[in-house]
Amino acid sequence: MSGIGNRLIWFSGRECVHCKRIRPVVEQFQAETGNVITELEVWHSEDNAKVMRGYGDAIKKACGGDLGVPAFYNEKTGSVVCGVVTLEKLKAWASG
Amino acid sequence: MSVIKSEYNIEAKRLWRCHVCNDLHYGAAPPPVCPTCGAKRAFVLVDRDEAAKVLDNRGDPPFTKQGVIDAWKRFGDMGEEYKLVDDAEMVEGLVEGVLSNRNDHGLKYCPCRLTQGDFVSDLKLICPCNFQAQKTWTERRECWCGLFVGRNKQ
Repeated sequence: MSGIGNRLIWFSGRECVHCKRIRPVVEQFQAETGNVITELEVWHSEDNAKVMRGYGDAIKKACGGDLGVPAFYNEKTGSVVCGVVTLEKLKAWASG
Repeated sequence: MSVIKSEYNIEAKRLWRCHVCNDLHYGAAPPPVCPTCGAKRAFVLVDRDEAAKVLDNRGDPPFTKQGVIDAWKRFGDMGEEYKLVDDAEMVEGLVEGVLSNRNDHGLKYCPCRLTQGDFVSDLKLICPCNFQAQKTWTERRECWCGLFVGRNKQ
């Protein structure tokens, strides 16, 4: 598993419907690539919320101005994808 | 219906009371006609203390899950361009999210976007939000969560 600063992060919300929908895509991504995505639930963990806010500028830019979930943040590259995305888009995000 | 996208100035908002029937209004200007009693030019500026005392313990108690859903449904039924999504499971999941946020964070914040820690800025995340100003509405005719959708959307 990658350490802090080197993670592929999935910011999620426990009651977020889109987060539930994208879970199978995340699982497929991990199964196919062997890469681990670290899920950080942000509404029920203030620590996780702080991490998300820390990357807030990049995430807001990708999410239409808000800290939307699901949001995926690549700590190594700083790239972000937001919302329900395809497996291909997730792979591109992880590598770029 | 036109979509209002401009940011409002919260500092300009004041409390107003109808001098005829004691309706309360919070806004930059009073309604020209009282929506409850119909009196014209009836509102007078009041302070928060007076408004709170007029309100006392009146009004509905905090909504239960069904109360929130009923309010969303009523709001959606009023919309010319939007409605509450026809997906009971989805609505059920989202109402649990907003009530969880009300319980833990004080207001019925959207469960699909995180607050930024600035109270005034975060007011825009109270559900229902001004979703017609969002990118998701422009692109897919739905709010960020998919709770409110365009009338012609399945």
